[in-house]
Amino acid sequence: MKNDRKMFILIETILAVLALIVASLMMWDKLRSDQDKISVIVRNSDDTQWSAFKYGLRMAAEDHGVEMFVVSTSATMTAEEEEQMIESEIDNGADAVIVQPVPGEESEEMLEKFRNRIPVMLVECATAETEFSGLPVVEPDNHEMGATLAEELLEDYNGNIKGKTLGILSETTDSPKVLEREHGFRNIAEAEGAEVVWAVAGNFSGETETPIGMLPQVDLVVALDDASLTAAGASVAENDLRGALVYGIGHSTEAVYYLDTGAAECIVVPDEFNIGYQSLTETAESLENFFRGMEDRTVSHTVLRKEELFTKENQEILFTMSQ
Amino acid sequence: MWRVKSKYFFVNLKGLQPKSIQSTIMKAFSVISISIMLVLGIVLYMRFSTMSREETVQSTRKLMEQTGENLEDYLVSMRQISDAAYYNVIKENDLSARDQDIQARMNLLYEANRDNLQSIAIYDSRGSLMAAEPVAAQKEDPDVTEQDWYKQAMEEMENMHFSTPHIQNLFDDGTLRYYWVISLSRVVELTDDGVSQLGVLLVDMDYSAISRMMNQINTANNGQHYYLCDSNGEIIYHPRQVQISDGIGGENSKTAAKYKDGVYDETFEGEQRKVIVNTISYTGWKLVGVIPYDTLAAGTIDIRYFSILIILLMAMMLVVINRVISLRISSPILKLNASVKEYEAGKKPEIYIGGSSEIRHLGHSIQKSYEQIDTLMKKIVLEQNERRKSEFEALQSQINPHFLYNALESIVWMVEGERNDEAAFMITQLAKLFRISLSKGRTVISIKDELQHAQSYMNIQKIRYKNTFSIVFDVDPNLYSYCTVKLILQPLLENAINYGVEGMDGSGEIRVTGREEGGSVILAVSDNGIGMSEEEVSLVLTDSNRIHKRGSGVGLVNVNNRIRILFGKEYGLKVESEPDEGTTVSIHMPAVPYTEENRKRLEEGTAFYRDEMPGREMREKQR
Repeated sequence: MKNDRKMFILIETILAVLALIVASLMMWDKLRSDQDKISVIVRNSDDTQWSAFKYGLRMAAEDHGVEMFVVSTSATMTAEEEEQMIESEIDNGADAVIVQPVPGEESEEMLEKFRNRIPVMLVECATAETEFSGLPVVEPDNHEMGATLAEELLEDYNGNIKGKTLGILSETTDSPKVLEREHGFRNIAEAEGAEVVWAVAGNFSGETETPIGMLPQVDLVVALDDASLTAAGASVAENDLRGALVYGIGHSTEAVYYLDTGAAECIVVPDEFNIGYQSLTETAESLENFFRGMEDRTVSHTVLRKEELFTKENQEILFTMSQ
Repeated sequence: MWRVKSKYFFVNLKGLQPKSIQSTIMKAFSVISISIMLVLGIVLYMRFSTMSREETVQSTRKLMEQTGENLEDYLVSMRQISDAAYYNVIKENDLSARDQDIQARMNLLYEANRDNLQSIAIYDSRGSLMAAEPVAAQKEDPDVTEQDWYKQAMEEMENMHFSTPHIQNLFDDGTLRYYWVISLSRVVELTDDGVSQLGVLLVDMDYSAISRMMNQINTANNGQHYYLCDSNGEIIYHPRQVQISDGIGGENSKTAAKYKDGVYDETFEGEQRKVIVNTISYTGWKLVGVIPYDTLAAGTIDIRYFSILIILLMAMMLVVINRVISLRISSPILKLNASVKEYEAGKKPEIYIGGSSEIRHLGHSIQKSYEQIDTLMKKIVLEQNERRKSEFEALQSQINPHFLYNALESIVWMVEGERNDEAAFMITQLAKLFRISLSKGRTVISIKDELQHAQSYMNIQKIRYKNTFSIVFDVDPNLYSYCTVKLILQPLLENAINYGVEGMDGSGEIRVTGREEGGSVILAVSDNGIGMSEEEVSLVLTDSNRIHKRGSGVGLVNVNNRIRILFGKEYGLKVESEPDEGTTVSIHMPAVPYTEENRKRLEEGTAFYRDEMPGREMREKQR
C-alpha cells in the first residue's frame, strides 16, 4: 500500500517534470525566435562604396536569421565619437557590433574594452601591429593588393617602369590598411626603378577638396583607396592630371565607371560583398554558439580591366556594387 | 521437475511477494489507457502533420501560380511594347526621314512603361544605334554585335529572345551607375533612307521589376525560397544569387530546369526537400519553389510540443483517475483482507462486510466460517478435557484402594481359615483383573478381555459378598472379537452390586448379556434389585456431580462419556429401571472388529469429530 502510494507520487512527479520540460521548451522556442541584433558602424556609411559590403551584410543576416542595422555616419569620425556610437547601439539592444575602427591605438583599446561586453568584429585593422590585437578582423590582404597593383602596372609597361614618376593618393596616412597597400606597392614598384615623387593623403572630393591637379606632374597616379580612386578618376575626366595614367584600388561603381570610360587603367577590387558576408556570419555564429570564438578571415580581390569588365564573373562583382 | 523449477524461477522473478490487487488494477488500467492515448495521439499528430504539409505545398503552389501569372503578365507587356515599337513605330516610318516622329512615339511607349523599362533601342545590322529612348549618350565602343542579346536575335530571327540578367553596356547617362537588365531582343525590318534592312529591336527590362516580384514572395526566413531560372538552368533570380556564384551556397537549378510542372521530392547537398516547378509560358523560364523538409517539420514542431504536453497532462490525469478507480474497487477487498490478517494475527476483529455484493458475500462467508471454527475449537478443547478427566478417573478406579483392601482382606481371611484353594483362586482372579486393567496402557481392548475382567471382578466380589447374589454371563461369543472401551463393565457391575442386589440375601441376580443388533454391540448389565424411579433414572447419566455413596467413584456418567468420546454421540449408556423390579444398564457401541489398526484409530480419535462412526465404515470394509 505504501509502495503503491510512493509509486503513484513518483509517476506523477516524473510526468509533471516532463510536462514542465516540454512547456519550457515551447517557451524557449518562442524566446529564441527573438532575433539577435547586430549593428554595423562604418565611416560614411551611406556612400556607394559600401553597397557591396552592405549587400553582403544583408544576405548574411537573412541566411543566419539575425537583425542587422547599419548606423548612419559621416565621412570623418573620432575614436570618442565611435565609442559613443557603439555605446548607444548597445543601449538600443545590439548584441554585437561590426566596426570599421578609427585608426590608432586609442580606438583599439576602446574596442578591446567593448569586447568584454559584446562580440566586436572589425572590417579593418585599427593599428598596423595586428598580431598584438586580439580583435577579429575580416579584410582583404592589403599588402598583396598593393603588390598586385604594382604587378599589373609592370605588365602594362612590359616590366619596365624604370624612371617612371609616381604619385600616390590615399584618404589617410595613419590607416594601417593604406599603409600596407602602399608598402606592398612600393616594394615592387621601387624595386623596379620607379620613382615615387609624392604621396599625398587627404580628402580629394567634397567641399574641403584638395585639388589633385595642383600636385607636381607625374607619369602615373596610384590611388590606394576607393575615395582617392574616384577623385583621381574624376580629375582624369576633367583632364586635370595632365596625361597621368591612373591605377588604383576601389570598390564602388564610380571607380568601375572610370575604368569603363578609360579614366583609370586598371583597378584592384577587394571582395567587399564577402567582407560584409563573412564578418556578419562570424559574428552571428559566435552569438549562436557561446563557446565559438570569432576568427580572422581574409577575403579575395579581383583585378578589373576595361576589356574584361563585362565578363560573367565581373558582372557579378558589379551586381553586388549596384545593390 | 522442470516445471517445479521454472515455477520457482518465475516466483523469484516477480519478487517473492505477489503484487497487491490495487497496484495490479492500476497498472493494467494505466497501461491500457496510456497506450490508447499514445496511439491516438500519434495517429492524430501524423494525420495533422500530413495535412499541414499538404496545405503548405498547396499554398506554395497557389502563391507560385499567382506569381507566375504576374511574371507572365509582365513579360507579355514587355512583348507588347516590343510589338508596338516594331509595328507602330519601326515598320511605319523611315528612320532617317522622320526621326523626330519616331523619337516621339518611342518616348510615348517608354513613358507609359518607365517603371518596368530601362530602355528601348534600335540597332541596324552593323550594330549602329538607330534610335533609343530615353535619349542618352552611347558609350564609345559598346560593340553590340558581340553582346549576347544581339547574337541571339540574329541567330533565330523569327523569335523574340529573353536574355538572362546582365549589365546594360550601351549608354552613359552620366550617373556613374550600371543597370541590371533583362533584354528582349528581336530582328526587325527597318527602313533607313528608303532602304529596307534588318536591324535588332532591343527592349531592356528593368531587372528590379522582376526581383521585386520575387522578393515579395521570398519573405520566409526558414529555408523556404523561390527562384527563377531559364530553360538551361541559368539563374535569373535567386534570393541567394551572389552566395551561389561565390560558391557559399548552391542550387539545383540545372535539374529543376528539366522538370515539368509539378511537385517533386529531391535531395540536394544532403538536404531533403520538396520542389514545386511552374513554367512561365513563352520564355521557358521556370519558377521554382523549394520547401526543405526541415521547414515542413518546423511548421509542425509547435504542434508536436503541444501534443506531447497534452499527452503528458492527460497521462497525469489518467493516473489519478486510475488510482481513484482502483482504490474504489480494491478498497473493500483490502479492508476484508486486513480484517482477515488481523484475525490471523490472533486478534478478534469484526470481519469487514462492505463493497459490492460479491465481496459482501465473501465477508459473510468468512465471518460465518470463523464463527464455526471458533465453536468447534471450543468444543474440541472441552471434549479433550473431558476425555482426559474420564481416563484419569478410570485409571484411578483401577487401583481403587478400598477395593484392593477388601480383596486382600478376603485373601488374608481365607489363608487364615486355611482355605488355600480359595485364596489361590482369589489371587489368580485379582491378578487377571489387574492384567486387563493395565492392558499395556491401552484404552481400547477386545470385548473378550473386557468380559474376562468383569468375570474376575465378579469372582472377587462374590467371594467378598459371600455369594449373596448370583452372576450370569450370557454373551454371544461372536461379540468377543469386537472393540470396546476398557473397564466399562466394572462400574456397571459395581453399581448393580451396590445399588441393586446388595442385601438381597441370595436372591439377587446380576445378568451380563451381549448381542449384536443392527451393526451395534449391546452389552447389558441387569439386576433384579430395588430399581429406581424415572426421576432418578433421568439423573443417572446427566448429573456428574452426584456423590457416590459407595464404590470406586467412577459413575455411569464417566462410562457414558468415554463411550461417546470414543465412538460418537449416538452411542453410550441406556438405563432402564422399574422400582422394585430391577435395573438394566445397556452399553451401545458400534461393532468394530478388534484389530491393531482399528484400535489405534480409535485411541488416536481420528474419527472422533465426525458424526458418522469409523466403525461402521470399517465393518463394511471388512465385510
